Amino acid sequence: MSVDTARAITVSELSTQPDARVTERRRRPSFTPYFLIIPSVAILVIAMGYPLVWQIVTSTQHFGLAQQFGQPAPFVWFDNYIKLAADPYMWTVILRSLAFCFVTAAVTMALGTLVALLMNVVNRVIRIVIQISLLLAWAMPVVAAMTVWNWLFDWRRGVVNWILTSIGLPFQDHNWLQDPISFFFVAMIIVVWMSVPFVAFSVYAGLTQVSGEVLEAAQMDGATASQRFFAIIVPIIRPVLGIVLLLQVIWDLRVFTQIKLLQDAGSIASETNLLGTYIYQLGTGSSDFGMASAVSIFVLVLTVAISAFYVRNMLKEDES
Amino acid sequence: MKRKLATVTAVALASALALAACSSGSGTTTGTGASTDGKGKTITLWLAGADTPDVLRTYLKDEFKKETGGTLNIQQQDWGDLVTKLTTSLPDANNTPDVTEMGNTQSPTFTNVGAFLDISDMYKQLGGTNLLQSFVDAGKVGDKNYTLPYYFGSRYMFIRKDIWATAGVAVPTTLDEFNSAVATIGAKNPAGVANFSGFYLGGQDWRDGISWIFANGGDIATVKNGKWTASLDSANSLKGLEQLQAIYKTASKAPNDAKDSNQYIYLNDDDAIPGATTADAATPVSLAAATIMAPGWAHWSIGTKGEKDGKVTRTWDDKTFGVFALPGVDGKPAPVFAGGSNIGISAKSKNPGLAKTLLTIIFSKTYQEMLGKNGLGPANSQYVSSLGSDEFAKALIASASNSKLTPAAPGWASVEASNVLEEFFSKIKDAPDLAALAKEYDAKITPMLNAK
Amino acid sequence: MSSIIRTPRVRASRVAYGVIGVVVALVWIFPVYWMANSALLPNVVLQSKTPVFLPFGGSFDNFAAVFQGGTFFPALGMSVIIALVVVAFCLFFAFLAALAISRFRFRGRKSFVLAILFIQMLPAEGLFIAQYKLMASVNLLNTVLGVSIIYIAAVVPFTIWMLRGFVAGIPAELEEAAMMDGLSRTQAFLRITFPLLAPGLVASGVYAFLQAWNEFTVALVVLQANADQTLPLWLRGFIRASASKAIDWGQVMAASTLVALPVIIFFLFVQGRMTSGLVSGAVKG
Repeated sequence: MSVDTARAITVSELSTQPDARVTERRRRPSFTPYFLIIPSVAILVIAMGYPLVWQIVTSTQHFGLAQQFGQPAPFVWFDNYIKLAADPYMWTVILRSLAFCFVTAAVTMALGTLVALLMNVVNRVIRIVIQISLLLAWAMPVVAAMTVWNWLFDWRRGVVNWILTSIGLPFQDHNWLQDPISFFFVAMIIVVWMSVPFVAFSVYAGLTQVSGEVLEAAQMDGATASQRFFAIIVPIIRPVLGIVLLLQVIWDLRVFTQIKLLQDAGSIASETNLLGTYIYQLGTGSSDFGMASAVSIFVLVLTVAISAFYVRNMLKEDES
Repeated sequence: MKRKLATVTAVALASALALAACSSGSGTTTGTGASTDGKGKTITLWLAGADTPDVLRTYLKDEFKKETGGTLNIQQQDWGDLVTKLTTSLPDANNTPDVTEMGNTQSPTFTNVGAFLDISDMYKQLGGTNLLQSFVDAGKVGDKNYTLPYYFGSRYMFIRKDIWATAGVAVPTTLDEFNSAVATIGAKNPAGVANFSGFYLGGQDWRDGISWIFANGGDIATVKNGKWTASLDSANSLKGLEQLQAIYKTASKAPNDAKDSNQYIYLNDDDAIPGATTADAATPVSLAAATIMAPGWAHWSIGTKGEKDGKVTRTWDDKTFGVFALPGVDGKPAPVFAGGSNIGISAKSKNPGLAKTLLTIIFSKTYQEMLGKNGLGPANSQYVSSLGSDEFAKALIASASNSKLTPAAPGWASVEASNVLEEFFSKIKDAPDLAALAKEYDAKITPMLNAK
Repeated sequence: MSSIIRTPRVRASRVAYGVIGVVVALVWIFPVYWMANSALLPNVVLQSKTPVFLPFGGSFDNFAAVFQGGTFFPALGMSVIIALVVVAFCLFFAFLAALAISRFRFRGRKSFVLAILFIQMLPAEGLFIAQYKLMASVNLLNTVLGVSIIYIAAVVPFTIWMLRGFVAGIPAELEEAAMMDGLSRTQAFLRITFPLLAPGLVASGVYAFLQAWNEFTVALVVLQANADQTLPLWLRGFIRASASKAIDWGQVMAASTLVALPVIIFFLFVQGRMTSGLVSGAVKG
């Protein structure tokens, strides 16, 4: 295999012109790439194929607990989707999820980029200190992290309230999870805390590609810090920013574990549901699997729609 | 959305019910006369949470081995995941537990879809009318028994006698007296603690709060011709809601989103170890309530602080702490929420004979009394005396004597899972119009009750 | 690692940056520190209103209490095995696929790239019934293999995407040159290409490891037997059991620390390689 691979690499890399590559391919159709993707495709088809098909089919059925226990599931075709579209609560959850997703992703990107820039200007020791603390935060398993955060924000014994009260603010016995806005504020802090390390490391990696000489030259020419950042640094790290932002949006739109575990700690569930917890509540809670599947498919479509622009750009770059 | 779903599927529901009954019925025929020789065989029992103590588990395993020669495999499932796991496993003959415990309120949902084996033929043998009838009803579809009670545990009141005395209020004999007593304590705040509750009742704590609706003759829902209708807006329910609103406004300082866990910490004086912090004198006490409502086991966590082997202990002190069952409007114990479990045999069990043998062990005198000795109310009323005669047993028995279950509607589990009651209760305090609020939530709950 | 700006004025403000840097580090590490701190303190101290910031006079009692349950090590074993299986297979599969899409232009390539992007966008919360049915039908419930298959499928798309950049970043000319020096193609690949790829494999391996280590919704559905639990399930069970009685924050934090510790050790171990891995991955972006 590796011999074959090596030859294939050589062939494709030697022909530097895209046109030449195409002719190359036409002249010698190779089955090698297909063999190479077989394992990945196979595992995806096995583990994702059936569930995906099941979900699509179920979303067009009335599928409740009785169906799960063997009753035939009657097809209702698009009824589930129509009901969803007509349900104001669904729209509330969608808007809430989108708002949470965009705000959280934006804050994460901004902070992550700032931390990356910071890592670039501080000395080695401090950089390593920052890196280790980011790594520790990154390495925290979600369940463990959520337990700690719930404990930090505990209304009666939480350190956060204690600190705020100590500096004279009226936060004694303040309940952070009771009010939806402050619930999402806490949720955002937690998600940002967990996601910034990945963004910071990726952007930092991108920054090492920025040449110091160019920046110095720009500074000589009188470019301000923000001009240098937006005119020189951003274009160079744009590919990194693009993929990282895309991933943040995808992950934040389907955020589930953090919200679910926060809801377990407090808050009124219907006022704090996002798409992930709503699907979970429909499926696991109410055993309304038809509807839960319909919402899942809808989320998939929504995510694809949001990311379509980025994906197209990325594919273009990928082709070039 | 659920509303429409229900109407659309009303017909499907009825036929599904009939089919479910049929399919479980046929399960019985295979069940009766099935082998009870368990040599080399294993059956699985799911227990929910850690409520069943280890001694009891060991006893079940040993007894089962003795009687059948087979192995009993006990798997503990978390309460929070139980519905998910029952939903996936019960229909799957290869992976179903043979016997499973479930919350009494979860039982109707599963019995209505035919998840359990018809055990009507064993009903008399296992205790018959001596079994807790409200739980038996929760396991019935038509006149057939599918699940039976496993144990019960009702909630009762824990109080700080000293604070009640300082506030000058006596132990109440009626619900009205209780309501005004806790309001008085809340207003006087004799302990001088910030945010002090005369009665700590969490905003989302419907399992405790529902007692006020029940006590005034109200109900969550009523059934007529097989159709369930939520009745939070009935005149009697509204009376209870008004009392609750008063409690939330005057007696309780609990957060709006607090649920029914760990209330006992608000009853204890001080949780800090003396000397653990240098500024110990300035450390505020943990005390924050004069009254809580909790299941009986809470008494292990309430008391005067001591230390043994470096661990902090709590010793119940009759001078400081007291318990009583919530009194009803008429002075008898109020109908409180009847907590507890049901138990049943999976319709897909491959060893129904052995599973039935296990049920006979569970409903035997020995095991029922073991439940009682461990503070779990035995399903069979003949053995309730095994709970003992201390004040905790008395309060438990008194509170259970009049206790009430949630509606045995097919969609009850959905109501619980959607947290709609938690949400409703959290809005009682600030509701300008309770009747309108009740109507709004009735409209949400009714379709869920009938959906499946 | 050249810094962006080196004028004297900025050099002077480095002190300020340093201070900010330390603050950032403290903020990010605080929850982790708080977990470890609480794990070393007895519950009664944790229940007091004034937090205790230093675990002086603390002990390992909480850890001892957690170990007493006897369920930690089986769960640790299960998690380690699953994580290793997932990392190994995921890297192998993803490496092959990354070779295919970065070194070849072939019919279906674009669909494949799109598929691996979109598959990540499917919400998992609605899939569990189907996943259960799938695993039950092939008798893989409660098995390492069953969970691993789902995890590999969940992680492989992103891993392919990450590795793609690395593979494309390695010039084939290097291999050519080595072959001119008399190495065989296999040798050239193993000695030249593979070491260059190592940081990329580490970075993607870490990602796969984290996902497999942390996941718990799939595990919840597929692993139903008490004997076959992964660490997140074990931790959640531990927390739930604690919360149903008198929640012992000290023990809960000790349990959380135990779940986080292997990952932290693993991270610190591969840290250097991973950062350089991300750096070279960013070349292609």
